[in-house]
Amino acid sequence: MAKSTIYAGLEIGTHKICVVVGEAKRDGAIKILGVGQAPSRGVRKGEIVDFEKVQTCVNDALVRAEDRSDVMIRNVFLGVTGAHIESLNNRGRHRLPDDQTEITEDDVEEAKEIARSVSIPQSNVFLHSVTRQYIVDGQEAVRQPIGREGRVLEADYHIIHGVRGRVQNAIRCVREIPLEVEDVVFNPVAAAQVVLTREAKLQGALMIDFGAGTCDYVLYEDGMITASGCVPLGGDHITNDVSMALQIPNGRAERLKVEEGSVLYDEVPEGEMLSIEDDTGLILGEVERAFLNEVMNLRTKEILTQVRVRIEDHLGRLGAGVFLTGGVSLMKGVDVVAREVFGIKVTRAGSAPVSGITATFENPQYSAPIGLIRYAQILDSEKPFLSPLKRLGRRMQELLSSVTL
Amino acid sequence: MVEYDRTQSPEGADNSAPRICIVGVGGAGSNVVDRITLDRIVDATLVCAHTDVRVLGHSMAPHKIQLGAELMKGIGAGGDPDLGREAALFSREQVREAVEGHDIIFISAGLGGGTGSGAAPVIAEIAKNTGALVLVVATMPFSFEGRRRLAQAEEALELLQKRADALVLFENNRMGELILPKDGIQKAFNQADQLIAQSLRAVSTITTTPGLVKLGLDDLTSALANANGRCLFGFGEARGQNRGVEALKKALKSPLIDSGRLLHQTKNLLVHVAGGESLTLVEVEGVMKQLGRHVPDQTHILFGLGVDAKLGDSIAVTLISSLGLNQLNAHAAAAPPSEMLQPRAEAPTPAPKREAPPIKKAPSPYAPPVEASADLLFKSEEIATITAEAPSSMIEDQTVEQEPEVEEQPVLAQEEPVAEEPSAPVVESIPETARIPVRTPMAKELADAARTGKESTLASVVARSVTLQTEVAPAQDDLISFDEPQQQSATTINATTIIARKSGSDAQQTFSLGEEDRGRFKDTEPSIVQGEDLDVPTWMRLKKKLRR
Repeated sequence: MAKSTIYAGLEIGTHKICVVVGEAKRDGAIKILGVGQAPSRGVRKGEIVDFEKVQTCVNDALVRAEDRSDVMIRNVFLGVTGAHIESLNNRGRHRLPDDQTEITEDDVEEAKEIARSVSIPQSNVFLHSVTRQYIVDGQEAVRQPIGREGRVLEADYHIIHGVRGRVQNAIRCVREIPLEVEDVVFNPVAAAQVVLTREAKLQGALMIDFGAGTCDYVLYEDGMITASGCVPLGGDHITNDVSMALQIPNGRAERLKVEEGSVLYDEVPEGEMLSIEDDTGLILGEVERAFLNEVMNLRTKEILTQVRVRIEDHLGRLGAGVFLTGGVSLMKGVDVVAREVFGIKVTRAGSAPVSGITATFENPQYSAPIGLIRYAQILDSEKPFLSPLKRLGRRMQELLSSVTL
Repeated sequence: MVEYDRTQSPEGADNSAPRICIVGVGGAGSNVVDRITLDRIVDATLVCAHTDVRVLGHSMAPHKIQLGAELMKGIGAGGDPDLGREAALFSREQVREAVEGHDIIFISAGLGGGTGSGAAPVIAEIAKNTGALVLVVATMPFSFEGRRRLAQAEEALELLQKRADALVLFENNRMGELILPKDGIQKAFNQADQLIAQSLRAVSTITTTPGLVKLGLDDLTSALANANGRCLFGFGEARGQNRGVEALKKALKSPLIDSGRLLHQTKNLLVHVAGGESLTLVEVEGVMKQLGRHVPDQTHILFGLGVDAKLGDSIAVTLISSLGLNQLNAHAAAAPPSEMLQPRAEAPTPAPKREAPPIKKAPSPYAPPVEASADLLFKSEEIATITAEAPSSMIEDQTVEQEPEVEEQPVLAQEEPVAEEPSAPVVESIPETARIPVRTPMAKELADAARTGKESTLASVVARSVTLQTEVAPAQDDLISFDEPQQQSATTINATTIIARKSGSDAQQTFSLGEEDRGRFKDTEPSIVQGEDLDVPTWMRLKKKLRR
């Protein structure tokens, strides 16, 4: 079928707000129609702290995206992140009734139900619950259990949950623009869809979306999502460290970091000085380059170590290594530091090939928003086909239920 | 409180703790005591009592009693309980000396042999007479050991039941299911010992640890109260995410519970959940909810909850219940055909054969299939002749000979990670930075002053920030308009004095969440990891560490 759907992904990042409009074809290809971007204000560590500022910025980005793609955007897939988002794996175990040996759809539902009835804090909501695998009588990695013979069926789930209020805040902020939020997606889950290839997922891979506010990660093992989470430290922290170490304002520290900074200080010749300029080009002072790099190195290493601590158990099983994406992955030498921290192969990666504006998808800054389009496409392909009438009915239902929220 | 520590700490045991004594009688009993000695899971006086000097020689228990030294001349009882009893009576003074002065005495014995069946009741009586609480943990023989031994075991069991306050009885046949058929026999015995050791530890903890919801000996006895009952025991410990459910899963995995299936028939079930300080109500609720799926509504659940700081961030779930032998066998016999396909069914000894003696007297409704299956696998006459010709001491010798080879590695390895603490991430990163060449003269001085590589790195970081301050200082006038905190420069200037002080004071570091340290993150939620606010610049925190 040649029918295609247009999706829009919105990522409210700490550094920038980004709207990507993409066309998902039925054959799985994605074409990026346009990207709208605006610098972000009022976001700290991936979470919205100032509604009004954020709404203005989102509007800016939205207008640009609409201009470029020539598409009117009504619905978006919203990427969220934040320190409150956590994940866990749970296994639901369902024993078949004694008089039954074949697994039916009901049994699968029951196992899923048990797997999902995991106790998360009361204030939290599920963001995603992804089936990892089914296990029939201890036999792992069963994709399709229905129709098999077995006594015990287990469903393995990866559950990502976050604090209801904080997720709701992001949604509300976007709704007031007004934009309808079609689905909320945890950023790294979206980004992984375009950064990691199927082979990488099978071999085992860790994707780190090293953004300005947070460092989100997703870990795949045997093609299954195994761990995910968010370390609330990011590029902003590097900037802040630089700004406080050199006693210069944040904006200047940010520029210094991007233009001159590197996290390698071994090869820097001794005594090489950098001049700090103000806006007019006047030289305010000098810094030793090695010192700047060292401050950045300490922080970068610490952030990556925090990620490492959380995925320590799985480290030995990552055949494809670490994939670094997100804005900070552009920083000089970050891959070397990551290699030091994780001790395995590190690749800097942007989004995998999609057609459209080439400059966009190659930039790791856009992994997450492009991933949102891909995620939307996957989500749709998994949904059973609905006639337009049913689709309308479902929309009405959603609308009604959202009112009660 | 019971010492529950893996690393024995004599000073940690306070005087109010009940004194526990564990006596292993006979071959099987001393194996269990060895296991406990090696694992150091219970802080107790460990005594090994045996008639055979060879076994005592191998035993790792700190106290050893040779039963009936004059009578037996250091040779085993040869599967004769009468000899075992005589031997124990000869040595009753020694036994009394060893067990006296304890509040709780555990007696662990493998019934069916000479020493275990014969001496254990005598020792139980001596123990009872000292006024202590006596708990017996016994195993019934494997069915391949023959009917004679089974009869001896049953006899001893009767005697023990009269003397002990509580009797925890394990079925060796079910122990066989602990392992896969292809595993070696050593592993089988090893696992069985481990399970018994775990149960000992669990029982002693449950009955003595002050819990939030306390369980006492009364609860234990009512959980075990069952005519001719066999103990169903499951123990699981887990940590990390989802630890409660994981621990329960492990507990249910115990073959004595048969993945929870046997729980469907129990009348009383004792559940004890213990955790460190971080134990949450939600987790306990989760465990109980999950457990509810395995237990019928009418079952009386005796629930206990304990908080034990020593558990750290792990949760331990203990399930204890009992089931009549008949029910147990009925369950095994009535297992669905599909069950037979599983490797477990191939375990050397299907339970039905155990029923032989009682069936002779009063055939139970399950008799016909039982007899049939017994004929298929074993000819009962053959067993009888074998037993007659070669007294079952052969089998006991087997167990004994294995003993020195019984390696406790797997268990020790399991325990180790618990003691491990994840090292602080910042500290981890330090060796990497140690390669920084020291650049400024002042930094060199400081680095020389510092002794270790770690400190020298920190010194160089600090020193550099100091030198930077002085270098940038001329430009300070231009920078004055920046709203940088003034306190900042004060701390950096202090750096030299900080380094001078570093080794002197070992006072507790007080970490202030001073807003001035956090720069642009001052109005956000702090990101605290292991007591450190990660929003504060890394270099600044390194410096604070240095100040200590």
